[in-house]
Amino acid sequence: MSTALLYALVGIGLFSLGLYALIVHAHLLRKILAINVMGSGVFLLLIALTKRSVTSFPDAVPHAMVITGIVVTVAATALALTLMVRVAIENRCAELSDQSEE
Amino acid sequence: MEKVTLLVMLFDVLLGLGLLWLAWQLLESRDLFKAIVLFVAFGLLMALAWVRLDAPDVALAEAAIGAGLTGALLMAALAKLPSRDTSESLADEKGYWLLRLTLLLVAVGLGSVVLSLPESAPGLGAEIASNLASSGVNNPVTAVLLNFRGYDTLLELMVLLLALLGVWSLGRSAPTREKPAGQVLTTLVQFLTPLLILVAAYLLWAGADAPGGAFQAGAVLAAAMVLLLLAGWPLQHLLSGWALRLVLVAGPATFVALAGLTLLDVGLLAYPPQHAGKLIFILEVAATFSIAVTLAALFLGYRPRASNKESG
Amino acid sequence: MLSSEIPWGALLILLPLAAAIFCFVLPRLAALTGVVAVILVTLVVGAFGWQLYCQGVYQHAVGGWGAPLGIDLYGDGLSLLMLVMTALVGLAVTLYARSYFSQKQARVFWPLWLLLLAALNALFLSADIFNLYITLEMVGLAAVALVALKGGRDALNGAMRYLLATLLGSLTYLLGVALLYHSYGTVDIALLAERIDSSPVVWAALGLMGAGLLLKTALFPLHFWLPPAHASAPAPISALLSALLVKASFYIFLRLWRELFSPLGGDVALLLGLLGALAILWGSWRALRQTRLKLLVAYSTVAQIGYLFVAFPLAAAAGTMLWNGVSYLMLSHALAKAAMFLAAGNLLLFGGHDRIAELDRAVQRLPISTAAFALAGVSIMGLPPSGGFIGKWLLLEAAIEQGYWLLGAVMVVGGLLASAYIFKVVGYAFTRSTATHEPKSIPASMEWAALLLALSSILLGLTAPWVFALLDIGNPFGGVER
Repeated sequence: MSTALLYALVGIGLFSLGLYALIVHAHLLRKILAINVMGSGVFLLLIALTKRSVTSFPDAVPHAMVITGIVVTVAATALALTLMVRVAIENRCAELSDQSEE
Repeated sequence: MEKVTLLVMLFDVLLGLGLLWLAWQLLESRDLFKAIVLFVAFGLLMALAWVRLDAPDVALAEAAIGAGLTGALLMAALAKLPSRDTSESLADEKGYWLLRLTLLLVAVGLGSVVLSLPESAPGLGAEIASNLASSGVNNPVTAVLLNFRGYDTLLELMVLLLALLGVWSLGRSAPTREKPAGQVLTTLVQFLTPLLILVAAYLLWAGADAPGGAFQAGAVLAAAMVLLLLAGWPLQHLLSGWALRLVLVAGPATFVALAGLTLLDVGLLAYPPQHAGKLIFILEVAATFSIAVTLAALFLGYRPRASNKESG
Repeated sequence: MLSSEIPWGALLILLPLAAAIFCFVLPRLAALTGVVAVILVTLVVGAFGWQLYCQGVYQHAVGGWGAPLGIDLYGDGLSLLMLVMTALVGLAVTLYARSYFSQKQARVFWPLWLLLLAALNALFLSADIFNLYITLEMVGLAAVALVALKGGRDALNGAMRYLLATLLGSLTYLLGVALLYHSYGTVDIALLAERIDSSPVVWAALGLMGAGLLLKTALFPLHFWLPPAHASAPAPISALLSALLVKASFYIFLRLWRELFSPLGGDVALLLGLLGALAILWGSWRALRQTRLKLLVAYSTVAQIGYLFVAFPLAAAAGTMLWNGVSYLMLSHALAKAAMFLAAGNLLLFGGHDRIAELDRAVQRLPISTAAFALAGVSIMGLPPSGGFIGKWLLLEAAIEQGYWLLGAVMVVGGLLASAYIFKVVGYAFTRSTATHEPKSIPASMEWAALLLALSSILLGLTAPWVFALLDIGNPFGGVER
């Protein structure tokens, strides 16, 4: 198996592990970590598969996309963490609540 | 020759398995603090993978943003949680076999799709190669980020601004415990900060020709600011109000202004080739400061106010 | 420069971006900047529409590179319809929000709203699936921040749930983008459409991108995040979310389906239709059972989204007219639902609560808002001459012609349930409730914003020929089914 496919498969694995953790864990910090792991999986696949390219010149488009993706992810993570802290104060635990305030 | 390839192959396999193992450990760890530490380690391992995949620009971004800043953000958030309810019950182990089966099938399906891909990829390497000369820079990643797909980057800077607006609108949750910084941290900061600023300047300057650029430089600069904040430097009082807001929008505003000017001339973000290099450098400088201050402000977590009265 | 050469399309993106930055730097002028910018954007949409009408589709290669290396902007009749929808709802929400928010909230609201407007316009004009990912993230983060704007337990929980759902949706979508890029070497929709074939990768991409977008569109059973977020947000935000945001991801799904995936999946289309039917029944039933007005309106959105998906199994045989009906339904639902949320917001402010059973003679005491709610209800029920009627009639006709009796029956039942939940609200608005309360006065602009939107959703029914002519620009629904 080539390097490209190996890392791409790891990417799929990370995506799936993250998805599982996102669904089963109630704690919001774990959910946020899970989203980050899923993102890493997607980015890994996006870059790994460029290694299959036959042209001598590297294909930098996925690299730029992943840098964009990393920045978007850190922005979203920061917002999510701030929101989590506020939710945790309201709910008295860092989990989502279904009850309405009335 | 044969042996070297085999060794490299083994390294790749171990790294891949290590990534998966770390991911599982950090997601299932009962202790949240440990989970975050493992996440930072995971980020560093990812950076190693990027190096193996010939993506040094991404490796730099990952090490600085993915591992470093995200780690700091996670730690700060964990410290603000009202109770360290780290012993909360994990998933009900029995009820999830159907979910596990489904996700396993999805993973296997996606895996087989990946394996079904043709051996060689079309890619855009050839197009980049033939247009790089007129892009204004020599680093293909920078060329894509700031020229070929510069429009994406313009919107991406807006995403950062949006996240900061969101964080600011949530307000200050609780006064964080102001701890005096330890001697170790103070010394570390005195030693590291100038070094980080130097590294950021180098990354910014080198970005045109070598791995680096506005995002990496901005992230490293942000790391320096986060360290200063941790060591108790009152950065939030030094830079607040409209001066802060101006720095925050420097990058986006320069980008939008350039977009407007080029729109009047040739077309949206179409730089004249003879000026492309200079324009990209100006964009990168402005973006670096905005990215750095935005990331540091995201870490701070609230809208800083000038120590006297009104601010931003 | 001749007026025909002015790049109105690009201005639709740059103008709100510049205004957002201006607002952010000078918060004192935020409301003024916001109002001026939204009015200007509406005028530019008009100019853009005229340009499309005269010259046909809009195409712009950003940076002058052109696909596949660069990003292309593309606008046709469908994009125009979405832009007009955004501008109309945006204008009413802007009018409403001017009086709604406190000084402190306003300084955050205006830059966020302008960035959201820019992101929506950029989304409707993008021809690049990676660029669409970024616009989706912008839209999602702006929406989350707006939901959380007023704070409070419900809003914060709703915002958090929404954020997790929207991030999951974007990442799943992005994985599909990655697979497509590595199979066909481009992220440009038109080039992909030329190169695409039926292979496992395309199936996987359809599954991933589809799942991500449907989660953001809140198609049953992926709707769990919508009611809490839409019901707990401030009223003008709820209006934006229900009217525009779910349509944005639906628009991308529709585009990709039409351009890339429709040759693949008759069975997938049937599944979408089935989920749409279930959404209609479940959403309407839940709406009927609600005791809180804003939750009722939010569940009604879940149901109305269902109608959009009922079209998919009918499309293969019905052709262009059916998609025109779907577009009509999107537009009329946007206007009507925004009107409903604004009216509900007025009722909530007026009484200090939104318990349906205690509306307490709202019809006499707040006649304009109650009328807005009822008129918007007419469009949601699908009664003539409203815009909702045209859309639903076209769908129903196609279902009966093609012998999809069950789908037709579901649509009729959905209409009946909608009448039931709307009459329930209107009925309580006539009666005196036991618990009386001290009413608060509502600024006239907030009442008229709701009423004008509701009126336009009704009048929309009379403009069908013109709207269909505009929709024809660039032939987004293609004469032939590929």
